[in-house]
Amino acid sequence: MAGRLTETLHRILPVAAGLAALLLLWEGGVWLLDVPVYVLPGPFAILGTMVDNAGPLGAAVQITLGEALAGFVIGSLLGLSIAIVLVLAPPLETALLPLVVMLNSVPSVAFVPLALIWFGLGIASKIALASLAVSFAVLLNAIQGLKRPEQEAVDLMRSFGAGRLGILWRLRLPAAMPSIVTGLRVGLARSTIAVIVAEMMGAYAGIGQVIYQATAQIDYLVVWAAVFLSSLGSLALYGLLTLIDGRLVWWR
Amino acid sequence: MMTALKGAFRSMADSAPEGAPAERPAAAPTAETTPEPASAPVTPLVEMVNVWKRFGEAPRQTVALAGVDLAIRPGEFVTLIGPSGCGKSTLFNMIAGLADTDADGAVLFKGRPQRDGELLGKVSFMPQKDLLFAWRTVIDNATLALEIEGVPRAQARARAAAMLPDFGLAGFETHYPHQLSGGMRQRVALMRTFLFERELMLLDEPFGALDALTRAMMQRWLLDLWEKHRRTVLFITHDIDEAIFLGDRVVVMTARPGRIKTVETIDLPRPRGAEVVTSPEFIEIKRRLLAIVEEESIKSFSTGGAP
Ligand SMILES: Nc1ncnc2c1ncn2[C@@H]1O[C@H](COP(=O)(O)OP(=O)(O)OP(=O)(O)O)[C@@H](O)[C@H]1O
Ligand SMILES: [Mg+2]
Repeated sequence: MAGRLTETLHRILPVAAGLAALLLLWEGGVWLLDVPVYVLPGPFAILGTMVDNAGPLGAAVQITLGEALAGFVIGSLLGLSIAIVLVLAPPLETALLPLVVMLNSVPSVAFVPLALIWFGLGIASKIALASLAVSFAVLLNAIQGLKRPEQEAVDLMRSFGAGRLGILWRLRLPAAMPSIVTGLRVGLARSTIAVIVAEMMGAYAGIGQVIYQATAQIDYLVVWAAVFLSSLGSLALYGLLTLIDGRLVWWR
Repeated sequence: MMTALKGAFRSMADSAPEGAPAERPAAAPTAETTPEPASAPVTPLVEMVNVWKRFGEAPRQTVALAGVDLAIRPGEFVTLIGPSGCGKSTLFNMIAGLADTDADGAVLFKGRPQRDGELLGKVSFMPQKDLLFAWRTVIDNATLALEIEGVPRAQARARAAAMLPDFGLAGFETHYPHQLSGGMRQRVALMRTFLFERELMLLDEPFGALDALTRAMMQRWLLDLWEKHRRTVLFITHDIDEAIFLGDRVVVMTARPGRIKTVETIDLPRPRGAEVVTSPEFIEIKRRLLAIVEEESIKSFSTGGAP
């Protein structure tokens, strides 16, 4: 227990020290060069603004992270299910996979206007967009992982009398876990980006909308505070995912 | 079944050390339990009739097997040797039901032709690679086949746990494959095969990765097990000593395209102890087989990749 604690500390300390040094350097640089606020405010001014506006900013980031997380979960399940169906039905894969690869290369933010028209300005459009972005990342990685087992391993399962589902459950899925985790990581990053961009283009609430309005009102400190906060939020989500990763790839 | 197995392993563990095998009481009635092959026409457990296997299309075709005929009686231990690439693993794939023979031949199981994977699940097959699953512990790798058969997990684990000491894996049940040596991985794979209890067992170089000492021990151990349970075994090896020591018959295959070159019946008395390999009879058989095998090996080199 104590060992794990010190280990964690050893990992976190250098990062914290680096961050502190960066903030100090930033603050010092801004002060020395007398940089105007609209170009770059100092970090302590930003932190102060975050504290002053804790209520509305907190509410906004909660909505944004909620949308991103919902999109992440829905998109992951969707991507994984489709991957499984495609791997179980090779003709379907041959027909659909090129299409998926093509759609995947279109940045999901390109679909923002469509999502706003179809699902309105509320949270539904954000969740739909995030799901789309996540599902492609998970789908492509999962397919790659599900097809990783060599033919000999599949043959071994067959010789024991296993059917397609048995092979999927006992061989393909576990073998795909590392790839799926990669997909989840990429998907999570995409999910927050998609949500914030969509909020900027049309929303009732959320951190993207806060950034948009503050920019319109030339309130640079609030813009910066919102950017800070959303970065912290994504970091927290990422940390959560790292915790789950260890359970998905438990044997390493 | 389970207790019988356990008992068998217990007595095997007793007889495992170098002790003279003739002293073992259990193995005495060999002559009564094994019918003399020629005396009565027994239906072969598995029979290959004119088995061909060609890979690819005409100009670049590889003929892996060219008319293999072989019948294996129930309870027999047949070893198969032949140069690398002569089609031994290909033959196993077909007996396991993983691949079909070309249309001009057939594999019969208990006298009935088997096609389209009908043999899947009927034969206990150990492939050449260990193919352990990285995400499963030793014990869970060993119980893979039982799990697929639907044996409850606790029961499957108990059966596997009882076998661990005999495979030299006691204390390693919760290790993952990447924590094992090559030889240990091979023994886990062998254990997985043994736990899938079927009349016919196909072993593709099961001891290939073991060191000489462990290998000799495992050979005697395998014979012990086989003498008690009389599962039919088809065993691929590159080692002539191993082939003679284990087999009722040694089947020698030609260089590719694989055919059966000779079948040598091994009359060495059973149970066979470690000292058999230095007996004059053994040496004489070995001399004969060595000449044939060497001839084929040279051929497989000189013909290179040509079919
Ligand atoms: N799926 C395949 N497609 C094409 N050629 C194949 C295929 N499988 C096997 N072969 C060819 O058939 C021949 C026999 O292969 P096989 O693996 O049965 O040999 P082997 O006797 O088991 O060799 P080794 O002792 O080295 O394991 C080889 O020349 C191999 O290249
Ligand atoms: Mg082989």
